[in-house]
Amino acid sequence: MASSKASRLGEEVWKTRMDKVNAELVVLTYGTIVAQLCKDFDSDYIEVNKQLDKMGYNIGLRLIDDYLAKSNTMRRCSNFRETAEMIARVGFKIFLNITPTVTNWTSDGKQFSLIFDENPFADFVELPDDGRAQDELWYSNILCGVLRGALEMVQMQVEAHFVSDVLRGNDTTEMRVTLIRYIDDELPPEDD
Amino acid sequence: MVVYSFYIFDRHTECIYSKSWLPPAPTASSSSSTAAATTTTAPGGPTSDTHPPLPLSTTTAAAAAGTSGRRSAPTASASSAADNDAKLIFGTVFSLRNMVRKLGGEDDAFVSYRTANYKLHYYETASNLRLVMLTDTATLSMRNVLHQIYINLWVEYVVKNPLSPVEHKGGAGVRNELFELGLEQFIRGLM
Repeated sequence: MASSKASRLGEEVWKTRMDKVNAELVVLTYGTIVAQLCKDFDSDYIEVNKQLDKMGYNIGLRLIDDYLAKSNTMRRCSNFRETAEMIARVGFKIFLNITPTVTNWTSDGKQFSLIFDENPFADFVELPDDGRAQDELWYSNILCGVLRGALEMVQMQVEAHFVSDVLRGNDTTEMRVTLIRYIDDELPPEDD
Repeated sequence: MVVYSFYIFDRHTECIYSKSWLPPAPTASSSSSTAAATTTTAPGGPTSDTHPPLPLSTTTAAAAAGTSGRRSAPTASASSAADNDAKLIFGTVFSLRNMVRKLGGEDDAFVSYRTANYKLHYYETASNLRLVMLTDTATLSMRNVLHQIYINLWVEYVVKNPLSPVEHKGGAGVRNELFELGLEQFIRGLM
């Protein structure tokens, strides 16, 4: 699907079919979750990243069905580039009302970056000032898990991680997504 | 239009939901429990093999009726018969789907097939959930109906139900009240 068509689809679904929730409620709820995780794991930020990814993964496993239903998707993307466009222009659009930029493709078409010009989770956020959070915590790491879970349900095994975050003082917020493999159909068990 | 039965298979090829609208098998009144078991027992549900032996009268009545068709098989094998039906259906649609893709390209999908007695409608989502419906032969395409069941019932009442697990092993979490009620109403509305 052409990217302009994907944009139109995202826009239309966002306007007509999505239930909206107050953005500040989302910011505060998500912030509370991250803050609580930091407390629970004694500021072990590596562990917090892991937990966020796991939570996202479990969200993604279910969210994909909502995505398919809302976007009326009837067929699979024909290649990973199309998948990337659909994630950015339809997925992020309908659930978060943002459209990250897809860029930095590797030549084999298996790895790309999502650049987030705005991040609805990160409003009003400051990372803890303990000298470690700036280097270790990926505040929006839940998004990586969501992508991993959602794509796994449509038979794509991917790896996703943040490489930069404006909260850490970087210029951009960038997530790197790598396609590991397409998962084969499961076959019915043999009759005995 | 008559809907005979409806099945859902998950991406692990397991039948996680089945429902039949077939009239109870025409057996003697003493074996009404037999008919009920035939139509309502789900795969993965309690198998009747584990039940205590049935009263003799019931068994004989059911066995006598057995000549009128395999739907009215004796209770002992009723659930495994339904189980087998589901397995056979999945095997058929899975092979057919693979063949269609081989001939018509990866994007091709088969919509239905028809026999002298029934028509089987098939819809597969991108997340590899397969919905199958058996109707009478005169029914037009039910692809849209199956799609609506996915969007309005499956996603709303099963996927979004926090108490329902992500994987529906043995049909766990699928048979909730809202889903059953919604499906019943939706299908009745069509007929």
